Amino acid sequence: MKSMESILKDKHFQLLAFLITSARGCVDEPKLYGPLRLLDAASRLIDIMEDEGKSNDEILKLKELIEENIDVLMYDEEEFIRLLDELAKQLAKIIKNQKT
Amino acid sequence: MLGGRFLELITAIKGRRAVRRFREEPISLEHLKKILEAGIWAPSGSNIQAWEFILVTDKENIEKIKLISPGLFDNPQALIVLCINKKRAEKGGRLGENTALMDISMAAQNMMLLAYSLGIGSCPVVSFNKTAIRELLNIPEHVDPVLILSFGYPKFWPKAPRRRPLKEVVHVEEYGKHFEG
Ligand SMILES: Cc1cc2nc3c(=O)[nH]c(=O)nc-3n(C[C@H](O)[C@H](O)[C@H](O)COP(=O)(O)O)c2cc1C
Repeated sequence: MKSMESILKDKHFQLLAFLITSARGCVDEPKLYGPLRLLDAASRLIDIMEDEGKSNDEILKLKELIEENIDVLMYDEEEFIRLLDELAKQLAKIIKNQKT
Repeated sequence: MLGGRFLELITAIKGRRAVRRFREEPISLEHLKKILEAGIWAPSGSNIQAWEFILVTDKENIEKIKLISPGLFDNPQALIVLCINKKRAEKGGRLGENTALMDISMAAQNMMLLAYSLGIGSCPVVSFNKTAIRELLNIPEHVDPVLILSFGYPKFWPKAPRRRPLKEVVHVEEYGKHFEG
């Protein structure tokens, strides 16, 4: 069992808390906050993958793209949706280039 | 002639931004006190002042609040949780709580502008879990946390999000007659 102090600093636990409180928030918040929280969670997940040596340059580029643009929703909704498309495209490229 | 105080005030009003990236530099208690003081000097309906402000500067407490606040970004040095005291708000009649929310919003703006005048960035945050923050900060039943303000010295001042123009927002003499000035 992890001690409470270390669990507060544990990135898995942080992601868990983020997911649960975001789920509640999404009930009442603007529609596009759902995708925003999912992107934030994705970026946090990449962080964890990096710590665990499961990331690579292409995946880190996805994280950079998210971080550079996470507040774009406040400025331009259409641009935010374009970002989601761009991320999906980059993700597909990563998948396509993998050999099973 | 516009000048002096007007210019200072409009510069602060237009310059303040929602800051979501902070430097690791503590805010002095003296400055935090000034910010809180700006809050209590806000107007309130019937001067009821149905507000309570919870100041949080302890790093571990801030970390805990971050865990339950999806809309709270980066590492602020201080948080102020603005709450409605519902017992006090009752004095304002059936509209009491509604009015208290307006009062708190005005207090929040005062705090953010004062912070800006000291070079401190702030962000209003409504995306936090109310049930969880109640539990974390021992907030009693008759007190309702409605807004968190995060504070810290900004890594940078973000660019200003667009405002709807005066021409569109302002109606002159009657609704629908748009402002042309
Ligand atoms: C009532 C209220 C709640 C807000 N809640 C959040 C929030 O939860 N998270 C956040 O990052 N910004 C939040 N904001 C900040 C707004 O996104 C920001 O004020 C708006 O985009 C305009 O940008 P500006 O403040 O830099 O002019 C909130 C603002 C207000 C007034």
